[in-house]
Amino acid sequence: MGNVASVQKVLKKLGYQSIITNNHDELKQVDFILLPGVGSFKKGMENLNALGLVELLTEEVVVKKKPFLGICLGMQLIATFGTEPEHVNGLGWIDGEVIKIVPKKGHRVPHMGWNTIKTDMLNEFYREFNNLDYYFIHSYHFNAINPKDVTMTVNYDGELVAGLQKDNIFAMQFHPEKSQDEGMILLRKVLEKYA
Amino acid sequence: MLKCRVIPILTFNGFGLVKTKRFASNPRMVGNAVQAAKVYNSRNVDELVFLDIYASDKNRKMNLQIAKLIINECFMPVALGGGIKSIEDIHDLLAIGADKVVLKNKIIEEPEFINKASQIFGNQCITLAIDAIKQDDGKYYLYNRIGKTLDLFEFLNHIKTHNFGEIILTSVNNDGMMNGFDIALVNKVEKIISVPIVVAGGAGNLNHFKELFSKSHIEAVAAASIFHFTQYTPRDIKLAIASVGKPVRIVEKMYIPKN
Repeated sequence: MGNVASVQKVLKKLGYQSIITNNHDELKQVDFILLPGVGSFKKGMENLNALGLVELLTEEVVVKKKPFLGICLGMQLIATFGTEPEHVNGLGWIDGEVIKIVPKKGHRVPHMGWNTIKTDMLNEFYREFNNLDYYFIHSYHFNAINPKDVTMTVNYDGELVAGLQKDNIFAMQFHPEKSQDEGMILLRKVLEKYA
Repeated sequence: MLKCRVIPILTFNGFGLVKTKRFASNPRMVGNAVQAAKVYNSRNVDELVFLDIYASDKNRKMNLQIAKLIINECFMPVALGGGIKSIEDIHDLLAIGADKVVLKNKIIEEPEFINKASQIFGNQCITLAIDAIKQDDGKYYLYNRIGKTLDLFEFLNHIKTHNFGEIILTSVNNDGMMNGFDIALVNKVEKIISVPIVVAGGAGNLNHFKELFSKSHIEAVAAASIFHFTQYTPRDIKLAIASVGKPVRIVEKMYIPKN
């Protein structure tokens, strides 16, 4: 998907080597795994299942604690389950469901464009990103069960989850790779924590 | 709060950038596409649209090498359009890093293609180009050069439940004329279409943007001539939009040295 090429372009600009792969041996060797992705939840899980990546990624990320960043659909897939277009189990790394944004007051769906994120000002890692704008494009949102997993939120006729973190597992609903400098500083901070 | 987007449109003739008036076939050359993309990226525009406007007429595909050079300059979303006829064409454009593809003739010939494409790639990357032309009878039609006569609003009502992420609504009558947007058209279309709408066609000065954003509920605007032929920058336009109370993204600082 387009998103993969864009992420690689930004990683290169930040000075990181990256490979686009679904090869199990390569995934075992890398220092950091990024899962971008666009498309539907169901299709995304079908692809991961067909490539045998559900077990492998869970082993690497959840058991061996390899750092991981999911972007957009890549964030949604770590939920317990999704609903696009029907109930489909996700990777289940962070408790929550992925459900359709129900527009009120004339808000348009998809939620598309630059929107301001809010972070917990007590959270030292994220607070410098409070009030910055990032590019969103999604019709479904991650409804997290544990508020402590939520690192960033965005307002679109109500508060939606914009970012999640649980130990070594990072996730962003927006596209840092498409969010110019603000996206690059955020990606760089996450990567620098581990690399 | 979601910001109103300001989006430059680059129209390409296969060799360089051109700008049409009322979609006529004698456009003016206005420069180099890759250079323009580089400038717009440095100006932190919200998004960029690149269209090969004669690809379908000439029955050619988008030049992927040039498209890739453009995308490589851009760290914001880029939409590509022109000559897209198949799922494979969309795949090729997304593979080089396009975030959205813009469909036009194909959806006129085969509206069901919208759903086929979004089922595979997700509706977020499927943008429809809706080119509206007001004829002497006072009615709006869907402009095309493939010989189809379609009432604009009938067509929109037919496709509105199809699965797409956005439309770019262009007034053909106002294209390149720089005398203001067709707000009556925008107001009619925004009642029919529930996905984001990008309005194009007619921007010539800052008052045109103030008028558009105060008289409609749309949150994205595209323009070309105003950038080619006047001193106004995307930032000037955003400040004008902000002056009528709509949110915009003004980038004040640089975080990362550009190389």
